[in-house]
Formats: sequence, structure tokens, C-alpha cells
Amino acid sequence: MLGKHAKLERTAIGFAIGIIIVASIGGLIEIAPLFTIDETVEEDPDMRVYTPLELAGRNIYIREGCYACHSQMIRTLQDEVERYGPYSLAVESQYDHPMLWGSKRTGPDLARLGGKYSDQWHVAHLLDPRSLVPQSVMPAYRWLARNDLDVSDMPLHLSAQKKVGVPYTDDMIANADEDAFGQANPDSEAADGFFERYGFEANARYFDGDRRKLTEMDALVAYLQSIGTLSEAASKNNEITKTIPDEGGAE
Amino acid sequence: MTIDHETLTAFAKTYGLIYMMIVFFGAVVYALWPSNQSKFDRAANSILEQDED
Amino acid sequence: MISQLTKTERETALFLTALLTLSGLTLGLLGRNDLLGYHGALLAVAGMSLTFLLIKDYYKPEPDPDNRAKYYDDPIKVGLVLALVWAVIGMIVGDWVAWLLVFPEATFDAGWASFGRLRPVHTSGVIFGFGGNALIATSFHVMQRTSRARLADNISPWVVVVGFNLFCLMAATGYLMGITASKEYAEPEWYADIFLTIIWVVYLVLYLRTLARREEPHIYVANWYYLSFVIVVAMLHILNNLAIPISLGHAKSYSLFSGVQDAMIQWWYGHNAVAFFLTTGFLGMMYYYLPKRAGRPIFSYRLSIISFWGIVFLYMWAGSHHLHYTALPHWVQTLGMTFSIMLLVPSWASAGNALLTLNGAWGKVRDDATLRFMMVAAVFYGLSTFEGSFMAIRPVNSLSHYTDWTVGHVHSGALGWVAMITFGSIYTLTPWIWRKERMYSNKLIELHFWLALVGTMIYVFAMWNSGIIQGLMWRAYNTDGTLAYSFIDSVAAMKPYYVARAIGGLMFLAGAIVCAYNVWKTAKLPTVTEYTPDKPPLPARGRPSAAAQAAE
Ligand code: HEM
Ligand code: HEM
Repeated sequence: MLGKHAKLERTAIGFAIGIIIVASIGGLIEIAPLFTIDETVEEDPDMRVYTPLELAGRNIYIREGCYACHSQMIRTLQDEVERYGPYSLAVESQYDHPMLWGSKRTGPDLARLGGKYSDQWHVAHLLDPRSLVPQSVMPAYRWLARNDLDVSDMPLHLSAQKKVGVPYTDDMIANADEDAFGQANPDSEAADGFFERYGFEANARYFDGDRRKLTEMDALVAYLQSIGTLSEAASKNNEITKTIPDEGGAE
Repeated sequence: MTIDHETLTAFAKTYGLIYMMIVFFGAVVYALWPSNQSKFDRAANSILEQDED
Repeated sequence: MISQLTKTERETALFLTALLTLSGLTLGLLGRNDLLGYHGALLAVAGMSLTFLLIKDYYKPEPDPDNRAKYYDDPIKVGLVLALVWAVIGMIVGDWVAWLLVFPEATFDAGWASFGRLRPVHTSGVIFGFGGNALIATSFHVMQRTSRARLADNISPWVVVVGFNLFCLMAATGYLMGITASKEYAEPEWYADIFLTIIWVVYLVLYLRTLARREEPHIYVANWYYLSFVIVVAMLHILNNLAIPISLGHAKSYSLFSGVQDAMIQWWYGHNAVAFFLTTGFLGMMYYYLPKRAGRPIFSYRLSIISFWGIVFLYMWAGSHHLHYTALPHWVQTLGMTFSIMLLVPSWASAGNALLTLNGAWGKVRDDATLRFMMVAAVFYGLSTFEGSFMAIRPVNSLSHYTDWTVGHVHSGALGWVAMITFGSIYTLTPWIWRKERMYSNKLIELHFWLALVGTMIYVFAMWNSGIIQGLMWRAYNTDGTLAYSFIDSVAAMKPYYVARAIGGLMFLAGAIVCAYNVWKTAKLPTVTEYTPDKPPLPARGRPSAAAQAAE
């Protein structure tokens, strides 16, 4: 064995390929279960997908780097559940490509944000955080209200989402741009199509309060109001178990 | 046989672990093998022989 | 630089820059209605500028064939300078975002200037721009000297240096415009990821070909560490960035993975990026430059080998300590915790090995700030790995996770270990490759050392304090069983620590600027005349060097 090793070392290529093979066999065996880990995720047949407007808002959340300061993952710890709400379940982020669990809370967790505040609160907060929370260190995002939302590419976004596994129908993909507009303009004709495809529960409102135009603010607020509302699994789960699996993750 | 999560996990936790231990053990044996000592001494000193240029 | 290339090499280079221009134009055309267009333009402009440079010097006389018997150090010089440029940029942005948490209105109503977009400019700038360039440059040096062989060819080192920096540039400018995949430390989008993959393969092949030319059968251990950095980073990069772009004309893509699977793969990547980018690569640096500077062989060569394999194997399992108490299955969390604790053993083996090498040379450490940089780096490496293993314990992590404690840990590793070992190596290497007797000013090195050390201490202590206070406030209860503090109470309590951190960071940044100045002045010192390498690189084994060139 040792003689072989010395010979192996003599050729760098052999040595490097040796390292690659030896280490990656170990690595592959170890990470193989990660590729099937989604099998372990609880099921929620009633879970809905993001609407096109919410997805556009989610992309703005990503673009602005909100995840750098806000987590979306409530841990199984007593104080977190009391502060933020039911702890997060894996199923809740099954349509999140990519996930936005975050790793730093410069600001509070947002996993249960949807429905917690009014649209007006969100708009005011994003325009000037310190007008509502004087000690906040969050930046103001005034350009969101100025920028028109570009929805023309939404069909492309939905079809890519479908390719990675989110169950959008062909109908939803084809009308994604219309639906994004409709959700933020409930009195328009486009809204009818939106209701038809996404059901009446899905929120349709003038999110930014401005009826004249569709802005990035509309999209972001629509997304913020949707966080944690796609699935009811977590609140149901919390009602049943009442207790937190102390010291334990979701098994 | 379908390869499901359970199987992969069990495999990783048993054979994967054994495999890594064996390879690591092999590396330790190689490092401690007495006849390799002189080679290692030579290597450790080799970088000092050349005056940097 | 170009005068060092032969005619055929200049032609090859021209072909490559034309290819770069063409790919840039294609990307620009495809993405003309999207932000992607800007990055196409960036590549095209870079390609055209390089083409222009090449054409300008195309008819200069060819280099003296004897030059080929020497080491090839030009790419190292460029890599080192770029590392320092990125260090200054990355740290300016780091300190700026630190101040943004004190003065949140300083965003000036501009998207590109807000915290969320600048923060990844900082992390990518320092990790990839500063750290990556330093690793590439020093690896070119170490691979040549330990093999006593010239770099295997004259073109691929340039492909690596130029290509890697174009990647960094696409990353940083992309974040400012809002192009990001949001995966921490892997934010660049699909086209930049593909670009980097190509560059990285060239790097790996160059490394292997250079090692293949060596005379000594045994490969010096520093190369093992560097190689594991090159190889594992490639695997991590490819897996974690698998994504489907919404079209070839758009920068935006969606990760192939979602939810818990995405989280696990992201942190398998994230932790191993710490391991194989911020640790093994820099250990390679340490295992070469520290013994060289101290003039003593490494304390235990055997230990360095065992430590290598320990680190390679144990890190693989540890990623899930980033996801304690989350929706990740319990056993994965336990596994991550157990292996993180075991990881302390090989980590301390390396830190101890470095310090024991200095044992008996303490006089030198006292007098030589460069060596002191390396010693302090080894100490911080020991400290931050101890801290990391501690934070990987679930109950400890329940307190530290999401808080500034993590940021403190990161910077005790990043400033104390990564940056210090790099500065030590830069001060060692600079006079050698620029052929000077010594650095321009030892006083400035001394100044830099104290700025860096004090800056790091202030930063890390501030973040330990703020992190632990944050963690405790979040879980504090009143006697009646209600939570004692609102979230914003904890934000307000951070203010003094954020100020202190920004000041500590400013000192560290000042040190880096001093370093850049010192290197600049050193490069302008008179060159040591009549330089003859004591031991020239050996010609490639078994073939005359002329034939070797023709073959390349
Ligand atoms: C002038 C010195 C530096 C200053 C002032 C500084 C400041 C900062 C700040 C303010 C953050 C954001 C923390 C937050 O979100 O709360 C940060 C994050 C980070 N910095 Fe630095 N930094 C400096 C140097 C470095 C260096 C040299 C490195 C690496 C080699 C580095 C690596 C990182 C990393 C990896 C993060 C992300 C941490 C996380 O996600 O937990 N920094 N830095
Ligand atoms: C034995 C070695 C180490 C272990 C076990 C370890 C463990 C940990 C743990 C438990 C966390 C916190 C994860 C969380 O709660 O989110 C962490 C974060 C981090 N560590 Fe280490 N660490 C080690 C060494 C290092 C070193 C040497 C560096 C060098 C710079 C480093 C850089 C980082 C970074 C950048 C993060 C932040 C990741 C993020 O959240 O963005 N670690 N590490």
C-alpha cells in the first residue's frame, strides 16, 4: 500500500485524481440523502403557489437583499414561537426556489408576516421606516414606489418555476402578466382572470394605494402579505401538538 | 428496489462512516509509517534549501 | 508583460481575447433587454481592451529563450496587486455597511447604495476578490518553488487571473444593479457561474501540469492544501449553483432546489466554502510561508498530513450546524454538531503545528512584524475554530444563531486568520518576486500590524458583546411569563457596539491601505542587480525545454 502511495504521489495527476475520487466518494455518500430529503417533507395538498405578483415581489425582496437582515425561519424554541408565531415547517417553503431562511436577524423574523399589518402600514414603513419605528435601522426603499413593475416577463418566470417543480398550470403561465396586473387592480377586467385561476381567497387589492400605476411597491407588499399564508400546516400543527419539540427539530 | 431517503440515509450513516474511517485510518498509517519519516524530513526541509529569488 | 510571450503565445492570447469579446457580444445581444446586457458589455469591453493591448505590443521582440529557464512571476505580481485592490475596496464597503447600521439614512435614496445590495459586495469583495486573488497568486508561487519547475505554460496563468477578476467584477457590479441569486457566498447568477467554472478548470489543469513537471517525487504538503481548495471549491460551486435561467436573455434564474433541500445544499456549500476557501487554501499559505519566514522546517510534517485528511473528511459533515432547530430533520442536526466538535482536533493540530514551529524562534517573532502577523493568524485560527465548534453545540447555537455573535465569529476568522496570514505572506513574498532586498518600510509593517490587531480585537469584542446581549434579550422573560423585550429594544441596545465595530473596522481598513502603499513603494525600489537564481527551476522532466514550449 505504501509503495503504491509513493508511486501515486510521483504523478501529480494520479495524486489529484486520487484525492478527487477518495474524497468525493465520501462526500457523495454523505450528501446523497440531501437529494431525497424532500421525501421527508410533510404533505399539504391544500398548499397554494405564489401568484405572479407575489413572485415578482419575492424577486424584489431578493434583489434588495432583504434576506441579509431578515430570517424566514422560526426555530423550535419557546421564545421564538411566542414572539413570532408557530414554528416553521419544511412544507411551507417547498415552493421556495431558492429558500430565504436567512442567517442573521438584524431585523425581526418575517415567516409569519402575512396579514400581520395593513398594506398602508407596509407602504409607509418601506417609504420611511423611522416614521413608524423611530429606532429602526432599516433603509428606506422609496424607489420602489417610483419604479413601474415590469410584468412582461412573468410568463417566463412561471415557466422556469414550473421546470424546477412548482405546479403552475399552462393557463397560469400563459396569463401570468395579465394576472400580475389583475391582482393589483381588482376592479379591472384582468382581475376576473386572476380570480378564476387563483381563487377568491388570494388577495387582490390596490396594494400601494395608488390606483393609477402598477409599481414595484405593489409587488413587494403583495409578497410580504403572502409570507406564511401559502399553507396552514404550521398553525394546524401548532394547535394539535401545543408543545414545541424541545431540543428537537421537526423529526 | 427503489432508492428512497431511508435507504440512502442508512447507507450514509453506516457504510459511509466506515468508509471514511478506513480512508482516514489509511492516511494516518501512511503519515506515521516509520520508513516514511526520512522522506518527510526531506520534504519539510526542502523548501528551506532554496534561497528565495 | 506581453513582451514575455513568444509569437505563438501572442497568437493564442489574441484568439482567447477575441473569444472573450465574442462571448461578451453574444451575451450582450441576448440580454439587450435585461440587466444581463450590461455584463455582456462588460465582458466585451474587457475582451477588446485586452486585444488592443496585445496588438499594441504584438511586434515587440520575442523574449530571450533563456528566460524560460526562470520562474514565471509576472502573473503573481498582478494577482498580488489585484488582491490588495480588492482588499481596499471590499473593506471600504465593509466599513461603509457597518456605518449604515449606525446611520441608516445614508442610503441617499439610491437602490445600489442600500445595505442589502452593498453587503454582498463586501462579502464577495473580501472573500473572493481579496482572498481568492491572494490564494491564486501565492499558489502560483508555491507550486513553482516547491516543484522547482516553471509554470506549465504562459497563457493559462493569465486566463486564471484575468478570468477570475472578471468574475469578481461581474459579481460586485451585479449586486449593485440588483442581480443576485441570494445564496450566501454564491450570489452571482448562472452565466457568471458558468464562466467561473471554465476558469476554475483551467486553474486545476495548470496546477496539475506544473506539479507533473517536478523532480522530487514527494509533493510538499502545502500543495495538498491548495489542491483540495481548488478541487472541492469546484464541486461545491457546481452543485450549489444548479439553476434554471428564465431565458438565455435574462440574468434571473431559479434554483433547482427548494425549501429544506435548498437550505441543506446551501449550507453544505456555505460551510465547506469556509472550509476549503477560507481554511485549507490559507493553511496551504501558512505551511509554506511560515516555515520560510521563520527559517525553520514545520514542527511536524506528519501532523500536517493527518490534519489535512482530518479536515477534508470532517468538514463534509458539519454544514448542518447552520440549521439547528430549523425544519431540518433532527438526526442531520445532531450529525452536524458531532462532527463540528470533532473538527476541533485537526484544526488545533494545524494551529499548534504552526506555533510549535515558532517555538525557539520567539526572538524573531518579537523583532519581525511579518512573522508576527503569521503567528497571530495561527492563534486566531485556533480561537475561531474553538469558537466555531462551541457554537455548533445545539443549545449554544440556540443563543448565538441569527445574532451578531455569528458576525463576531466570522470576523475573528476573517480578520484574525484569513487576512493576517495573507498579509504576512504578502510581506514575505513581495520583495522576493519584485527582486528587492526588502520591503520599502519595516516601520509601516509594524504600524499595519498594530492597526490590524487592535482593529480586530475591537471588532470581535464588540460583536461578542452585542451578539450575546441580543441573544439574551430575545429570550428574556418577565416574572409573569411574558417576553421582557420587544425586538426593537434589542436593536436599540446594539447602537454602541455598532459604532465600536465600525471604528475597529476603520482601523483594520487603514492597515490594509498602509500595506497597499508599502507594496507599491517596494515595487518601485531599485531592483537587486545581476539577479541569478541560486537554484534555477529544473527543465521539464524528460524533454528539452524548447520542445516543451512547442508542445504547449
Ligand atoms: C475593514 C474590515 C471589515 C469590516 C468593517 C467589516 C464589516 C462587516 C459588516 C458590517 C458585515 C455585515 C454584518 C451584518 O449583516 O450584521 C460584514 C459581514 C461579513 N464580512 Fe466583513 N468586515 C470587514 C472585513 C472582512 C474581511 C477581511 C472578511 C473576509 C476575509 C469579511 C467577511 C465577512 C463575511 C463572510 C460576512 C458575512 C457574515 C455572515 O453572514 O454571518 N469581512 N462585515
Ligand atoms: C472547527 C472549525 C469551525 C467550526 C466548527 C465553525 C462553526 C460555525 C458555526 C456553528 C457557525 C454559526 C452558524 C449559524 O448559527 O448560523 C459558523 C458560522 C460561520 N463561520 Fe465558522 N466555524 C469554524 C471555523 C471557521 C473559520 C476558520 C472561519 C474563517 C473565516 C469561519 C467562518 C464562518 C462564517 C463566514 C460563518 C457565517 C455563515 C453565515 O451565517 O453567513 N468559521 N461557523
